[in-house]
Amino acid sequence: MNKIFLHPLLVRIWHWVNAVGFIVLIITGIQIRYREIANFGTFKAAVEIHNFFGFVVILDFLLWLAYYVLTGKIRMYVPLNLKKFLKGALKQARYYGYGLFIGEENPHHATADNKFNPLQQAAYFMIMLLLMPLQLISGVLLWDIKAFADWIGLLGGLKVVDMVHVAVFFFLAAFFFVHVYLTTLGTTPLEHIKAMFTGYEELEEHPK
Amino acid sequence: MAVTPLQDLRPSNGVKRKDMKKRVRKKILYPPLFLLFFATWAGSLVFPGVSGAIKLPVLENAGACMACHASKDLVISFKDKEKMSVFVSPDDFIKTVHSALSCTDCHQKVSLESHPGRVLESRSAFAKEASGACRNCHADSQLKAKANHAYMAEKADAPLCAVCHGAHNVRRISEWKSSLRGKEYCLTCHRQSISKTLRSGERLSLLIDPANLASSVHNKHDCSDCHAEYNRDSHPVKTFFDSREHSVSVSEICGKCHADKYTSLRGSIHYNLSFHVGGTLVSKGNPKAPVCTDCHGFHAVGPKTTYETLSGVPCRKCHEDIFNIYAASVHGMSRAKGEHRAPMCSSCHFAHEIKFTAMTDKIKAACLGCHKGVEGEHKKWLPNAELHLSVIACAACHAPASEKGIYLQLVDQKTGEPFTREQILPLLGTSSEELSRRLNAHGQGLDSYELSYILKQLNERGAGARVTYLGRMDVNKYSEAHRLSLKKNAISECESCHRKDSKFLKRVTLAIIKTEGGMERYTLQPDVLSSVFSMLSSRQFYLLGGTRIALLDWAGIFIVFCGLLLPIAHVTMRVLTAPLRKKGKSEGSEKGEKG
Repeated sequence: MNKIFLHPLLVRIWHWVNAVGFIVLIITGIQIRYREIANFGTFKAAVEIHNFFGFVVILDFLLWLAYYVLTGKIRMYVPLNLKKFLKGALKQARYYGYGLFIGEENPHHATADNKFNPLQQAAYFMIMLLLMPLQLISGVLLWDIKAFADWIGLLGGLKVVDMVHVAVFFFLAAFFFVHVYLTTLGTTPLEHIKAMFTGYEELEEHPK
Repeated sequence: MAVTPLQDLRPSNGVKRKDMKKRVRKKILYPPLFLLFFATWAGSLVFPGVSGAIKLPVLENAGACMACHASKDLVISFKDKEKMSVFVSPDDFIKTVHSALSCTDCHQKVSLESHPGRVLESRSAFAKEASGACRNCHADSQLKAKANHAYMAEKADAPLCAVCHGAHNVRRISEWKSSLRGKEYCLTCHRQSISKTLRSGERLSLLIDPANLASSVHNKHDCSDCHAEYNRDSHPVKTFFDSREHSVSVSEICGKCHADKYTSLRGSIHYNLSFHVGGTLVSKGNPKAPVCTDCHGFHAVGPKTTYETLSGVPCRKCHEDIFNIYAASVHGMSRAKGEHRAPMCSSCHFAHEIKFTAMTDKIKAACLGCHKGVEGEHKKWLPNAELHLSVIACAACHAPASEKGIYLQLVDQKTGEPFTREQILPLLGTSSEELSRRLNAHGQGLDSYELSYILKQLNERGAGARVTYLGRMDVNKYSEAHRLSLKKNAISECESCHRKDSKFLKRVTLAIIKTEGGMERYTLQPDVLSSVFSMLSSRQFYLLGGTRIALLDWAGIFIVFCGLLLPIAHVTMRVLTAPLRKKGKSEGSEKGEKG
């Protein structure tokens, strides 16, 4: 077995803070929106916890963004070559939808500078560079709608901003399940998770 | 010094009737009467043709009467047991205009044979009979020479002559009335129980209690300071349809000195506002709308403090239901306990410039005027305190027992000012009545789509104005806003409102402000807050957990379900295809071994 260093310490810290933040935000978000159904505590506590972890995730996101932009690694999220991306995405989709079941080798081999297969790249591009900013910005606007009344008005009103925040929440909550599942597709079910703690991932040796 | 009617007829304890009668007949009446007869006979011889015209001062020709009536102890009893002094002061009588009359000129029914034989029913019956004697000499033409005297004299229930003029102390009007100063001149008549009949048939009392005048803040004023048309030379007879018309007319007088208050009143809800149904203005003749005298009275105007007590506050006369709620509130109870800082009606609503307060910040400003630092206090525990304070009426939380609802109001987005009915009507090309019909179309209120359509029309024709609905929470009835409780009882649980099934979200009202003030309310269907069309109509009203759009929730459930289904399906496939992979591996191993 070969070990490969995939996740620097800063990325690992960001990931786990983000993970905890996500879980707390999802639970408190459900509590805030569906108070008559979900009763994990008081509404006030849910709002305060949601606000606190919202800012934790914002700071965490800024940390992530700064790291990836300053190191130039942000490129791994952006499909620069569309043709190559589409070809790779089809190949990867075929693998997840067929090859994996018959024991084919994963067409993508992760490296420190190219961690994501084309489908992961597309998904994380959407999540990290589109949905997350949308969610964080709408969250901040809703955090103090009096102070940000003008911005909210520009964006089409409170209900629009709320709808965006809630819709992104649904997508992120849905992706959360997919994300957790994908972590089990390593050489062993816990390999990817272990790698996110240690930084190193063991790669399966394939016959040349 | 003013003369009290019948002052000289005070009852007192004294001589018994039988003794008096005996004394009058045997010892006192006969000798002087004889002399009187003799003098009259002698006089008629000396001055033929003037028999009976010779009038001697009463003390000279009524010695018989005065033998008893000069006694201060002389009293008579009526059948109703009341007693009355029949003392006649010789000193006073001789100064009167009637000093030349004999007693029997007026008391014609008094017979020496029987006096004091008759016992009258009551003091008033006596006074009536005695006053009737005046008519023997004073003809109608004399009584009606002055318009007001004529008016009084013609009345069936006119005061008796003696009531105003006195009995045995009658003096020439010119002798005493001209010497009266200020109010006393007018009170000569107006301290009496006089009244007039208005055109509606209503009776208007013209009685002015001197004690009220004396205790009034206006006690230094003369009557003519207010009643400018009335003076010693002028007393026009005014006619009014009813007492309301009289009050409105009289209240105009107050503005002469209290111009600031009067100006405030003219801009107030009492004067200018018309309520949603049936109500009109003072200026339009609403008999219920108060004018100056309704609160301050006519002649008993007290100092400001009079109206700042629970018992003296005039508002309760009309707003008793609200006052009772207030009296039971934390403010009313504090006031009752002597806490003078506790607000009264005028503390929040002001005394004269009373404005329409619903859907405005006026009352909130009044609350914050006393409860300094309350915004900071709310910020300590309430998330988004500033927002809550701006869109929720204080009473919505601090009158916890009150019924509450959501009020949507059309506002101009640029200015934040309410978009009034008068602005709406031309843009929609409709009349006030048509708009009301349209907003009450189904009897159940407009739904979200209809509401958004109105908004669309307004914005299409708005000539640059961008109109939107703003929402706020308030109590459903004005009176409920007074049901304020202790701070500890205030609603502080977020869950009271922040849930879809909150009862406070069940009642939604469209509030349309009118230019002159006031508000029209139209019930809306509760779905206006949470239907898809609310994205268009009430896009600026959003209540966490309370106004969520059901369609978005169903879409969310579908999305999350897909996110969950994908791994489950994939795992299932992996399990099902595991034999394939095993087979592939074993074949690969075999190939490797062969290789």
